[in-house]
Amino acid sequence: MSAVLIMKRLMLAALCTIVTLQAAPSHAQQSTEIRLTYSKGQFQPSQVSAPADKPISFRVKNLDDKAMEFESTSLRVEKVVAAGTEGVINVRALKPGRYEFYDDFNDKARGALTVQ
Amino acid sequence: MRGAILPGRFRAIALCASVCLWQGGAAYAEDASSWRELETKYIFGFTTGSGIGLEGEKEFTIDTIGRFGKRDGHYAATETKYEFEFTPSQFVQIEFGALGSTHNIGAMTDLDSRNQAAFAGGFAEFRYLALERTSSNPLSVTVAFEPNVRLIDETSGERVHNYEFETAINADLELMRNRLYAGFNLLYEPEVTQTLLDETLREATFGGSAALSVRVLSNVVLGGEVWYLRHYDAIGLTAFTGDAVLLGPSLYIQFTPKMFMTAAWNAQVWGREIGNPVSLNLAEFQRHRARLKFAWEF
Repeated sequence: MSAVLIMKRLMLAALCTIVTLQAAPSHAQQSTEIRLTYSKGQFQPSQVSAPADKPISFRVKNLDDKAMEFESTSLRVEKVVAAGTEGVINVRALKPGRYEFYDDFNDKARGALTVQ
Repeated sequence: MRGAILPGRFRAIALCASVCLWQGGAAYAEDASSWRELETKYIFGFTTGSGIGLEGEKEFTIDTIGRFGKRDGHYAATETKYEFEFTPSQFVQIEFGALGSTHNIGAMTDLDSRNQAAFAGGFAEFRYLALERTSSNPLSVTVAFEPNVRLIDETSGERVHNYEFETAINADLELMRNRLYAGFNLLYEPEVTQTLLDETLREATFGGSAALSVRVLSNVVLGGEVWYLRHYDAIGLTAFTGDAVLLGPSLYIQFTPKMFMTAAWNAQVWGREIGNPVSLNLAEFQRHRARLKFAWEF
């Protein structure tokens, strides 16, 4: 078997593994909606909660006159929300715990999601 | 030769350790709980953390690895990845890009002298987050597959067709919240090379690493890592030819929320070549390797 053929088969195997793993947790579920507003450089409310093992949908309304970026390392999401608009950020079903979020353009704007 | 190098190497390691301890002590005055959470992928040097980025994030990076020093003569080689990476979901990261290489080789017994820079091939990487960190579970694990196609041999700089399929497990532990992290890699790297003389060479590298990194400032992480690597003249790990231990410090700096760099240096501190009773393994590995990576997110 040629090296190119071996390489192609290995790449195909890797892609199939990732696609299978990726598909596994994506069962359709009703998501929990969390509404946040962003005004004067702060999230309102800044502390929110949601049930475990259900997908979450953040609706972030930016009332300020400049763009903000909703971002979270532990939620593994980021989205720029333009001034005066609303952004929707969908998050996977989460395990119980505390997940911080922030505006990547403003270090002082912080919030946290408690999943229980 | 070895006697002249080792004291310098240990002085450098001791200096790095001293800087880490000094910086670490000073930084404890800061409250780490107010810091943002850290993306761990690049904080361990050559050891890769489990991070896969944020869904929707795109990044361009320039990642150069240099390898320096063989048994005799002069040896310096680099390979640079010009890389685009993106995270299409909260579990998968994909990277791809081009490779460039340089070789500066002179007066060596086993390698032809050359001084060249060349386009060296391409690569892709697929990363899947298998176990995610939560506030109650400090461990995070990612599996990664990285196929590479090279037109230039990494070691000699000769024109070849080389196919490599790196498979890795990248794990890390948050030992102290926002402050102290341990990283572990397990690596299996089979490759097939077709030379210009139509020879087909099969080989593999297998090994692992352990790293410890401390966040000394909100945007600065210092660390150290150790690698143990084994080389085989077969894909199936059946023809063992030698092994080596590499050790060195790492540095990560986040310049802005969208730009960071990582730097690392490893020195071979122990090694053996099967059938050749010499110190260190300089047939398959090198005396030193260094990494410098810059990344821009957008």
